Amino acid sequence: MVRSVPTWLRLAAIVFVVLTALILLAPLIVVVGVSISESQFIAFPPNGLSLRWYQAVLSSDAYLGAGWISLQIAAVVTILATLVGGAAAIAIHRRQLPFSELLATAFLSPLVLPTIIYAIGMLMFWSAAFGPVTPVVLALSHTVIALPYVVRTTLAVLAESDPFLEEAARTMGANRLQRLWFVVVPQCLPGLAAGAFFAFNISFDEAVLSLFLRGPTLTTLPVQIYGQLEFSPDPSVAAVSTIMIGLTIALIAIIERMLGLNRFASA
Amino acid sequence: MATVRLHSIRKSFNKTDVLHGISLDIASGEFVSLLGASGCGKTTLLRIVAGLEGVTQGNVEIDGRDVTDLPPEKRDVAMMFQSYALLPHLSVAENVRFPLRMRRIGNREEQAEKVRTALETVQLGHLAERKPRQLSGGQQQRVALARAIVSKPKVLLLDEPLSNLDARLREDMQVELIEIHQRLGLTTLFVTHDQEEALSLSDRIVLLNAGRIEQEGTPAEIYNRPATGFASNFIGSANLISAEIVAGDTGPVARLADGQVLVLAADETARGAVTLALRQEDLVLSADGGGPRARIRTRVFLGARNRYVMTLAGQTLRALAPNDRIFADGAEVSLAIDPARIRVIHE
Repeated sequence: MVRSVPTWLRLAAIVFVVLTALILLAPLIVVVGVSISESQFIAFPPNGLSLRWYQAVLSSDAYLGAGWISLQIAAVVTILATLVGGAAAIAIHRRQLPFSELLATAFLSPLVLPTIIYAIGMLMFWSAAFGPVTPVVLALSHTVIALPYVVRTTLAVLAESDPFLEEAARTMGANRLQRLWFVVVPQCLPGLAAGAFFAFNISFDEAVLSLFLRGPTLTTLPVQIYGQLEFSPDPSVAAVSTIMIGLTIALIAIIERMLGLNRFASA
Repeated sequence: MATVRLHSIRKSFNKTDVLHGISLDIASGEFVSLLGASGCGKTTLLRIVAGLEGVTQGNVEIDGRDVTDLPPEKRDVAMMFQSYALLPHLSVAENVRFPLRMRRIGNREEQAEKVRTALETVQLGHLAERKPRQLSGGQQQRVALARAIVSKPKVLLLDEPLSNLDARLREDMQVELIEIHQRLGLTTLFVTHDQEEALSLSDRIVLLNAGRIEQEGTPAEIYNRPATGFASNFIGSANLISAEIVAGDTGPVARLADGQVLVLAADETARGAVTLALRQEDLVLSADGGGPRARIRTRVFLGARNRYVMTLAGQTLRALAPNDRIFADGAEVSLAIDPARIRVIHE
């Protein structure tokens, strides 16, 4: 007979879950709270309610410009990371390349490499080899740190796929390109979509690389927020952060719905 | 429809020989089964015909054309996989249309018509818009079959297609395969480890053992006249008993290790040490009816029949006997067998 869980353990589990949720969510609640404050200063709980800081953000060229740059870079990174990571995952999955184990490790290594070290290295390498950094360099660096996510999510869906599908497609007359397009890519799609979502988010809120590789005209949103916090902190930082939280939640909802629908359709 | 000719096919994986020079001619429209235990090379041979596997030596001809170096997509064959290999993101109809699309056979309307016909052939017309995962195993299997026949390939290759189905569905599918083969007349190569399946479906059976052809012939030939000990044991799981043939008073008899004798057919010419193949269903048991005596070790109830495991002259013997008479464990029984049903194998 299975013995029931003792009461003290049950209580401990509840406390654990509540603490986890609190530590995860409390900072976000504080940020949202501060963003709707009347006050000039960052203070929680908020003094009075107002949307003036949202108005300030939406009429600030600095924030809007930085946001626009972040969006553009994130878009480029999403496309690049998805294409490169997807292709890498397919190649690694087939194990037809020599050293494919080594390649897999290489593609996942940005996960464990400290970003700040990579940022310093990239800055020194690029300056020495090609001169001043440009937005392209930042997009490339973001792509590198986003790659592991695309590779992993795509490898995960490929691992569950029927290994005979491609052979079956061959016997049905599909050539190499047709097999890639009609058999392999459709199987990868959920993984690619999830990877693209990660890539976008990683680029959009990445601060370390963006700090090191920024140029006079290249300020991303996280860098702008950081600068604002450092030099003239006011609740506009909280307001812009709340907008970012909202955007991320919306993106998750969209992806979840798309992938959910996709799963449902093929279920 | 086309002929298939395999000419001394050899295949090695990492210096291990899997096929040792297989030659086989398949007539146009013939249904040939490759029968053998797992690891005998039957699936490898099928994959070689498909082009999914290269050969170490020898060549493959389809319809008189040497296709040995042609990749699968350029051979006009269709293969049905054990796992069915349906494309999960495509509907049933799209799956069946896939070979037509890849091979650019017909325009959209013609393709739709062919898909409809193929799905009706396997009685799945009403499920055309479903996704494979919404179907049962048996239905998925029919979709795979429809997809294999839709383009009327020169050769249809079936890799143990019935092994994932339960017994009842398997019988239904066997009948369906026979009917589809009769209707379309596709040259068919069928891989199976199930002798009953091979016996009931094929025009010809090719029995493979360890990468060699052990025997080939019609199901009746293979069943009634197994050429080797392996063949008689594999087909009908016959008992293999060693004996010595000597001339008796009225004709040749087989003397067993303990001196008991089995009467052989009068025209048996072999003499000396041989192996006898005694089919389980040919042994007749009686309490005391003359003939060699054997001791019953175990009885297994099979419903309509009983299987007895016995000891005869120090060797294990199995017999299938009707249910009207039950012998207890440990009992001594007499064995009778029609001399014409005894196969003598020269090893």
